Amino acid sequence: MASFNLYSRGDRIFGYANAALIGLFVISTLYPFIYLLAVSISSGAAVTSGQVVLFPKDLTLAAYEFVLSDRLFWIAYGNTFIYTFGGTAISLAIMIPGAYALSRPRLRGRKFLNLMVAFTLWFNAGMIPFFLNMRDLGLLDSRFGLIIGFACNAFNVILLRNFFEGVPKSFEEAAKMDGASEFQLLWKVFIPLSKPAIITVGLFCIVSRWNSYFWAMVLLRGEEKIPLQLYLKRIIVDLTANDEFASSLLTNRYSFETVTAAIMIASIIPVLLIYPSIQKYFNKGITLGGVKE
Amino acid sequence: MSAVELNDVVKRYGALEVVHSVNLNVATGEFIVLVGPSGCGKSTTLRMIAGLEEISDGTISIGGRVVNRMAPKDRDVAMVFQNYALYPHLNVAENIAFGLRVRREKNEVVEAAVNEAATILDLTPYLKRKPADLSGGQRQRVAMGRAIVRKPKVFLFDEPLSNLDAKLRTQMRAEIKRLHKRMGVTSIYVTHDQVEAMTLADRIVVMNAGRVEQVGSPMELFLNPANAFVASFLGSPPMNLLRATVTSLNGEPAARIDGVHTDAIELKLPVSFVASLEADQRILVGVRPEHFSIGPEAGAQGQPIAATVDLVEPLGSEALLHSRIAGQPIVAKLETPADVRKLSEIGELKIPTDRLHVFDAASGKAVSGHA
Ligand SMILES: Nc1ncnc2c1ncn2[C@@H]1O[C@H](COP(=O)(O)OP(=O)(O)OP(=O)(O)O)[C@@H](O)[C@H]1O
Ligand SMILES: [Mg+2]
Repeated sequence: MASFNLYSRGDRIFGYANAALIGLFVISTLYPFIYLLAVSISSGAAVTSGQVVLFPKDLTLAAYEFVLSDRLFWIAYGNTFIYTFGGTAISLAIMIPGAYALSRPRLRGRKFLNLMVAFTLWFNAGMIPFFLNMRDLGLLDSRFGLIIGFACNAFNVILLRNFFEGVPKSFEEAAKMDGASEFQLLWKVFIPLSKPAIITVGLFCIVSRWNSYFWAMVLLRGEEKIPLQLYLKRIIVDLTANDEFASSLLTNRYSFETVTAAIMIASIIPVLLIYPSIQKYFNKGITLGGVKE
Repeated sequence: MSAVELNDVVKRYGALEVVHSVNLNVATGEFIVLVGPSGCGKSTTLRMIAGLEEISDGTISIGGRVVNRMAPKDRDVAMVFQNYALYPHLNVAENIAFGLRVRREKNEVVEAAVNEAATILDLTPYLKRKPADLSGGQRQRVAMGRAIVRKPKVFLFDEPLSNLDAKLRTQMRAEIKRLHKRMGVTSIYVTHDQVEAMTLADRIVVMNAGRVEQVGSPMELFLNPANAFVASFLGSPPMNLLRATVTSLNGEPAARIDGVHTDAIELKLPVSFVASLEADQRILVGVRPEHFSIGPEAGAQGQPIAATVDLVEPLGSEALLHSRIAGQPIVAKLETPADVRKLSEIGELKIPTDRLHVFDAASGKAVSGHA
């Protein structure tokens, strides 16, 4: 029987090479995560003596017990949720109407406004003027300040604007003929049609808020308001210099390394949970079938 | 009352004027078809009526009210787009209901209206489907459903059938006609398909290069085209126009058909044209393809004219003869004889003198002669 192959030899070699490269990439991104997980559930002694490379040794949840019993951990965790989800909601509420307006040709001074938005991508005043600005606005050491100060991101606005610009004109015209108001046009037509872009931008916001650290450190004073990343930094910096902690190591099975690993794992879990449920929205083909060209 | 009136309507894009002073009165319940070649301003005119395009000059009124400065949603008109423009994120029922939902109609009202529209358009089994899962004809019907559900004063259609295949187009054409009979809503329909225009219209508006060339019932336009453009636009194949010069006006008017690489040919013109012609006037002589005949049986009214046949296209019961008269290309439509090959050996065609059209070559205007 004659068998024939759809792929030439070169194609197959290319395929194998691709698979090998991707495999390597997967391992290199996955390894740190697996390592952290292993460390967080191993005993401090095992970690310190370098026995944990891939698999946990001397299983224990002592590090988690230590972290979860810290009141400040829960406060920080709660704060991060507020900054992440509150911040993302406010960001979208500001950026979507802004981007929509910038995408409409009938907006007066549109070219100039778009230029000003893009301008901030290349040039900005820098850290100290920004800090002074926040101070003068009375937004230092305030949860609201941290949220509103970073609510609008020029890159995301441009991304949304470009997507809105790409929505076929006939949808807008059909909705206008149907009697939709400007707000209904945005809410019932543009936003649903731009779901992939909005979810992408939403995810950008979530990830950057979740990981944000620097400005929280600069702007916040009180412990009550710090996000998780700042809490982690405090653990790393403070525990090393903390005698009480050092002496507790003698009687407990956790160590400095296992505690930090446990915090990191705890902070990654929500992101891991969100990601797969969002991924299905990354289908660009949503406008297919609505208009026929 | 939902009459539509256009008075000296002009559209300019910057310095470029694309619609020149269009006047049109559409009576309540009338089905008007705007027809013309690509780029002649049909869509632009329709979109000005819809409110999607600003009116540069003149006035448009709907139901007696000037709507120049009125938003589309306040004009109470509905439009069916060439590309359907169905909302892809909504299912069929929600698409049809959209216009009622944005107007905050009560739930029961919306549902009843959607169901009624779906019944009329045979869409009931598809109400829960998304537009992407429908065939072209079904999408087209959803687009119509979206328009009819609101019971607007005026329907506007912009080439609604041009994305369908020939068979479906014929079917949907009949459906639109049926819908119009049933609802009696004033309709303005844009197409560049003259068959659609002929079959659907109460009156046809022929446009060319931003102007209205002629308005009238399909048969009026077909039988008495006001100018050479209308004559050559309606009818399939279109009317043949032969370049000629008036030679004699004494008793028997006649013209000499310009010879192209051959000798000119004399042709008698109808006597009734005498008063409107001048000696040596340059004219276009119009002959409908189906008015040509062959053989002696066509009888008295035909004058024989020498013709050479280049190509015969049999269409079944009829055949198209691509031929030349005095070297000018023409198309004749004849009944197919038992032996098709005979057609290619024809040396002359008969032209019925009393059915000739004559147009002034310079202005294109019809020379009045037909009573
Ligand atoms: N935004 C615009 N700017 C400049 N010219 C335009 C614009 N829109 C349309 N035109 C011009 O106006 C003229 C009329 O266009 P219109 O779309 O009304 O033609 P149409 O009769 O509908 O043709 P078709 O049968 O191809 O749809 C065309 O010559 C077109 O190039
Ligand atoms: Mg058009």
